[in-house]
Amino acid sequence: MKLFRDCPLLVGIGATAIILSVMSMALKDTVYADIGGGAEGPDEPAIARVFKAASMGIYPWSSGKEPDESFSIEEVPQAEEQTPVDESPEEASSQDLQQEDADISGNSSFDISGNSSGYDISGNSAEEPVYEFTDVDDDYFTDALFIGDSRTVGLSEYCEALDTRATFYAKVSLTIYDCMSKEFIKTDDGKINVETALEQQQFGKIYIMLGINEIGTGNAEYFKEAYSGVIDRIRELQPDAIIYIQGIMHVTEDKSSKDKYFTNENINERNEAISQLANNRDIFYLDMNEVVDDGNGNLDRSLSFDDVHLKASSYERWHEFLLHNGIIR
Amino acid sequence: MINFSDLNFIFRFLPVFVIAFYLTPSRFRTWTLLLGSLLFYAVGDPRMLPALVGAVVVNYLFSRVQSGEKSRFMLIFIVLIDALMLVEFKILGQYVDNTLLPVGISFYIFKMISYQVDVYRNKVKADAAFKDVAAYFCMFPQLVSGPIMRFEDYENNRMLTDSDEKRGRAHGRKKLRTILVALEDGLLYFVAGLAMKVLLADHLAMLWKEIGTIGYESISTPLAWLGAVTYSLELYFDFWGYSLMAAGVGIMLGFPFVLNFDHPYGSSGVSEFYRRWHVTLGSWFRDYIYIPLGGSRKGNGRTFLNLLVVWLVTGFWHGVSVNFILWGLVLFAIIVCEKYLVFRYLPKKIAGFVGHFNVLVLIPLTWVIFAISDRVMLADYFSRLFPFFGAGIAVNDTDVIKKLTVYWPVLAPGLILLIPGVFKFWENHRRHLIFTILWFFLFWACIFSLSNASGNPFMYFRF
Repeated sequence: MKLFRDCPLLVGIGATAIILSVMSMALKDTVYADIGGGAEGPDEPAIARVFKAASMGIYPWSSGKEPDESFSIEEVPQAEEQTPVDESPEEASSQDLQQEDADISGNSSFDISGNSSGYDISGNSAEEPVYEFTDVDDDYFTDALFIGDSRTVGLSEYCEALDTRATFYAKVSLTIYDCMSKEFIKTDDGKINVETALEQQQFGKIYIMLGINEIGTGNAEYFKEAYSGVIDRIRELQPDAIIYIQGIMHVTEDKSSKDKYFTNENINERNEAISQLANNRDIFYLDMNEVVDDGNGNLDRSLSFDDVHLKASSYERWHEFLLHNGIIR
Repeated sequence: MINFSDLNFIFRFLPVFVIAFYLTPSRFRTWTLLLGSLLFYAVGDPRMLPALVGAVVVNYLFSRVQSGEKSRFMLIFIVLIDALMLVEFKILGQYVDNTLLPVGISFYIFKMISYQVDVYRNKVKADAAFKDVAAYFCMFPQLVSGPIMRFEDYENNRMLTDSDEKRGRAHGRKKLRTILVALEDGLLYFVAGLAMKVLLADHLAMLWKEIGTIGYESISTPLAWLGAVTYSLELYFDFWGYSLMAAGVGIMLGFPFVLNFDHPYGSSGVSEFYRRWHVTLGSWFRDYIYIPLGGSRKGNGRTFLNLLVVWLVTGFWHGVSVNFILWGLVLFAIIVCEKYLVFRYLPKKIAGFVGHFNVLVLIPLTWVIFAISDRVMLADYFSRLFPFFGAGIAVNDTDVIKKLTVYWPVLAPGLILLIPGVFKFWENHRRHLIFTILWFFLFWACIFSLSNASGNPFMYFRF
């Protein structure tokens, strides 16, 4: 007791540290099984695990095999070789729905072979028209929606022409895995997710750029699968919109050569994968990297301060690219 | 691990070392300190360990020479060797490869020069034991970034002397109590510093980086000013926090508290600011460069020149780059203006006002110069701070509000802590129960933040 009076903070911190460390080690294989022990990170004291888990909403009293929401997917950065995690029930059901829907309407939108079905909704029995990218003006974007991560947030903040016309559902650290379910869109009745928002309002064009935050998660195939799920769901909710899949913007050479995950090789692999989701009928693939390239397949370093984002003054290039690459049906 | 705000340091090295230190009989504790410090250094920068050890041995040998008749020649010789070693590694680090710059070299070289001069001046005894001199140069709480403690303060540590042991076992309990009180007090300072570094500085650094991400040519003028404040606060709490952690670890081991930041932003003038900012470096420059050059006793012309030398050296010391030289020169100019114009001719009240203005407005601007090493970017930044020469490119005028809504929880406490009374109040009441409880939670908040930032590359990479 006297000891405690002399050094309460020391005793308090020491005792807590011991309790937490013991707990962390004891629960290592149950509650904390999904917490990255850092195959790639530096060796860390066991206590760190308790706090990492807490930031993901996993507490010692959480039950072991029931990780919270999307975290099971987000927290598998070392999963390069790992077989894709089984889909969450939500995603699966949405695909089933899409399947059903497709069967009923006879709309073969998810058929990437470009098979021209005889019974097109439009009643046009002629061959599928071939669409080409053409110049459009800013008014093209008045019924456009942009979905994306911080890069798209930057586009909204520093491209007035787009910000004043288009709608942006963009959020820092958004990924393809959580973009439909994360509740971040502010409305008068609180925050809603993209799925709900798309039920409430129809758009003419939907631009998506996602993929940089989850570059360390899973592999290209797994990423493509998730992307495909999102596209299918959007198609279902927005039957008339042109969907633009935007290839992930590169990082600078400096970043690409030094980082384990954020490499342009990884980005290209994933872009190649998601470009296959386009059908050139109502889903198109756009790659804006050509206008920010340094000549060697990297983001031009003069356009970026942090090697990942465009500087405010460089967003105009992206805007110009979109102006030159519209589809008019 | 070489960083105090590292989980491996906090939960592994520090507790293990402190226990080992106090389990060692006090006669041998200096050796524990020396070996622990070398281990600490070896983990952080193994390649450059020989440079440290070599410098220690050479300096010890030279100091022994002075134990008889003092030799001015030998003093100049060893100081030149030390200075050349520092300059050489600085140049290597700057132009060849920055991993060639040994960790903490500036600080241990400064300590060595200080020790040599103090031996020559008879301020400290020349025949100190090797273990003491070596442990003083290498002690891990100060090895990486100071503070530059003087040898006389190092010697003022009762935990390292064996005088207590002779009094017998009756004092065992009392001794344990002394140790626990020292540990508690050191921990209080350590946690205060940790919180400044982790909760304030590291988060302010994120805001400063976000401003860079926008691009300096595209920030609104209010955001440019907020950026100047942000970077100033980041630097302050990073370094003050580090110094408090270092002082705290020192106290745990029985050393006296080393004051390194004395509420500089409360100063009424830039020269006073630098007497209270990084105090041990400032006093080092004063005692070992400025005063040997003649200080302010040899007339105005000489004072002027001495100040110029000190500030140019300070600039160069931070890096061989135009912005650091510019930074040093601007500070020199402000200090000269204060010394020869403001405080000489203006009425006291107005001079005081101008002095505070210089500290609170001009100092943050000098930090901007300090922060941005690219000349074009620096010019861009100042043209946004003072938008007289045209508007920026793609400026979003609401950017400052967006940043403020996110970062006010770190900016507000940062600004409040600039008021000297706030920290002093805590110091005077730090053993109070309320503060103990608060510090307990503060500590775990830091650990929470650290756990989620380190080892998880994706937490800081939120795009």
